[in-house]
Amino acid sequence: MAETALNDTRAPLGITELRAGNWRLALLVAVIVMTVSIIALPGEISFWVSLAAVLFVGLSIVINAWGNSPGPLLVAPALALLVVMNIFPLMWSFGLSFFKFRVNRLAPPKFTGLSNYEKILTDPTVWDRLQTTAIVVVLTVTTQMVVGFLLALLFEREFPLRRVLLMLVLTPMMLSFVAVGAFFRFYYEPTFGLLSQAVRVFTGEVFILQATPAGAMAGIVIADAWMWSPFVMLLVVAGLVSVPKYLYEAAEIDRASWWRKFRTITFPYIRSLLLLALLFRTIEAFKLFDIVFLITDGGPGTSTETIAVYVYRLGFQAFRTSQASALSYILLFVVIVLTNLYLYFARQRDAQV
Amino acid sequence: MSALILQDLVKSYGSVPALNGVSFEVGQGEFFCLLGPSAAGKTTTLRAVAGLEKLDSGTITFAGRDQTGLPVQGRDIAMIFQSFALYPHMSAYDNLAYPLREQKLPRAQIRQRVGEIAEMLRLSHVLARKPDTLSGGEQQRVAIGRALIRRPRLLLLDEPLTNLDAKLRHETRAEFKRLHRELDMTLLYATPDQLEALTMGNRIAVLRAGKVVQVGTPDELYDGPVDRFVGALIGAPAMNLVTATSAGAGALETGFGRLDNGPWSQALGGFGRGESLLLGFRPHDISPLEPGAAAPLTVQAKIHLTEPLGDITVLDLRAGDTTFKMVLPEEKAVAYAVGDEFDVSIALERTHLFAAATGTAIR
Repeated sequence: MAETALNDTRAPLGITELRAGNWRLALLVAVIVMTVSIIALPGEISFWVSLAAVLFVGLSIVINAWGNSPGPLLVAPALALLVVMNIFPLMWSFGLSFFKFRVNRLAPPKFTGLSNYEKILTDPTVWDRLQTTAIVVVLTVTTQMVVGFLLALLFEREFPLRRVLLMLVLTPMMLSFVAVGAFFRFYYEPTFGLLSQAVRVFTGEVFILQATPAGAMAGIVIADAWMWSPFVMLLVVAGLVSVPKYLYEAAEIDRASWWRKFRTITFPYIRSLLLLALLFRTIEAFKLFDIVFLITDGGPGTSTETIAVYVYRLGFQAFRTSQASALSYILLFVVIVLTNLYLYFARQRDAQV
Repeated sequence: MSALILQDLVKSYGSVPALNGVSFEVGQGEFFCLLGPSAAGKTTTLRAVAGLEKLDSGTITFAGRDQTGLPVQGRDIAMIFQSFALYPHMSAYDNLAYPLREQKLPRAQIRQRVGEIAEMLRLSHVLARKPDTLSGGEQQRVAIGRALIRRPRLLLLDEPLTNLDAKLRHETRAEFKRLHRELDMTLLYATPDQLEALTMGNRIAVLRAGKVVQVGTPDELYDGPVDRFVGALIGAPAMNLVTATSAGAGALETGFGRLDNGPWSQALGGFGRGESLLLGFRPHDISPLEPGAAAPLTVQAKIHLTEPLGDITVLDLRAGDTTFKMVLPEEKAVAYAVGDEFDVSIALERTHLFAAATGTAIR
């Protein structure tokens, strides 16, 4: 206690004081050195000089923190990792979206303002892919909600082998997207796939699901719904279990039918969880990439190319890096808006009830 | 005419028996109480009548129709739960209107009937509020209203006063009596409280361990308990029980001396000497002996403890090895203090005799 009190009363370091822990001075020096090196030295050398300056400031901050309170230092590695792996690339790509830049060219980024955004928003392909995405979202989320809900009604009650079956039903959710995509590609595979073989028993011909746009879409929706219906089920079961039994008994005494019990008692209890499931699944479906990429690769033609697949093509096949960044940020914005709309409506309803 | 007939209801939860053959009949328009300690089977009986509990065996007949296998919705009953079981996400109005909406009545009629019942139960000012913002008494009245609004022919009440404070309990007891008088309904009321049963019930069935021990009017149960269990359950303070042995020829040897010519003498005549018995007498049937007066059963007793209860005082008395309680009106009790010794007279004609081993009454 006495020591901290001493620390507190100690006058803060003056900016001119020449000590290893004086990070303000270090920062000032680093900024000057970087500016000078960027102006005066060739690019390759100034890069390393700047890196050294950043490390110098970082070291100074660490030394300063060590003397005062080592607590934050303990989370510093995690924070550093987050910044390096996550936040910095995020900011970097956000910055790139205002530049003209391709990763496969040596030309340095050139500032072009909002022109990338303009290009994206006026690109009819983007709107077409957004439409495809909307169809995928509506179909797969609806299927998941319905199937998940029915599964929940089934698993709410006790029956033999319930625990074992529940575990089996939950398994798809635990798999990786790539594994699921690969599975379903094999199921749909025309020559030896299960689906084709089953159809051949009746028609005598090979069945190529991905040959028609509707079939390809169905293939994607089935795979995604297979994977994520258990998630909806899990949330709904949690809601169903939370309904007090005596309310059902009271409703039966009041002569309520099954449907009315469901509508007036069950549904109010699970509504918020249903909304949550809807929100999560819509966002996820909006970003759907892996399964589409593996099962149809956007085909036939571009009929199942979702916006996420299009971003991938734009960024890593056409190498229009900065345009892909701009599109990504537009999508992020859309998701954030959707989320807040949901939350707003959810709160409105809760306030009403 | 019997409206509700229960025959040999048997129900067990796994290996735990809940009802071991419950049978009784409830008359049309009767206020019938089920009295018993917890786990006696009161709630299970009510739930079986409601159809919420599937019976292992036995039949339930209501208004001449066998209801045993009917679903809950098919029975013309209403029930008030101990926890009230109001719908927490609906306003008091919607709670009251819930049973009516099931009948697809026109809106205006629903509004009118909810208005009537709210008026009757003094709930008009809280109709817009959710149950969790209502006081305990208001929640209780909403629960009553929801049960009554459909005008059922049979109303089941499962310890409806347990969750209320003492003052509200008193008020609601009066309320139930008023409603029963006004609405001409058959009521089946489960309670662990003998006072509720005695004050409200036309008839009472005493339950113990899933069996009906005795059925009768409050007076019949008070004056002629069929065993020491009913004797001790009904009346407060509880009936005094002192050990006694049969002395042959209808006489009894007790700590108070040899007794004969009791109401039980004739029945005791068949007993041999030395049978172990219990003599029961109510605290209200003891009075101080006036000086110079004589009584068939007098005891010299010493006051061990006094419990003033306002208008009455309970005296704990000791005579030799036996202890018992008597009740005096407050104005008479002021004359006595702890340690005083005086003669009391026990009304011999109102004593009860039970077999010590089985507890059954000898009369």
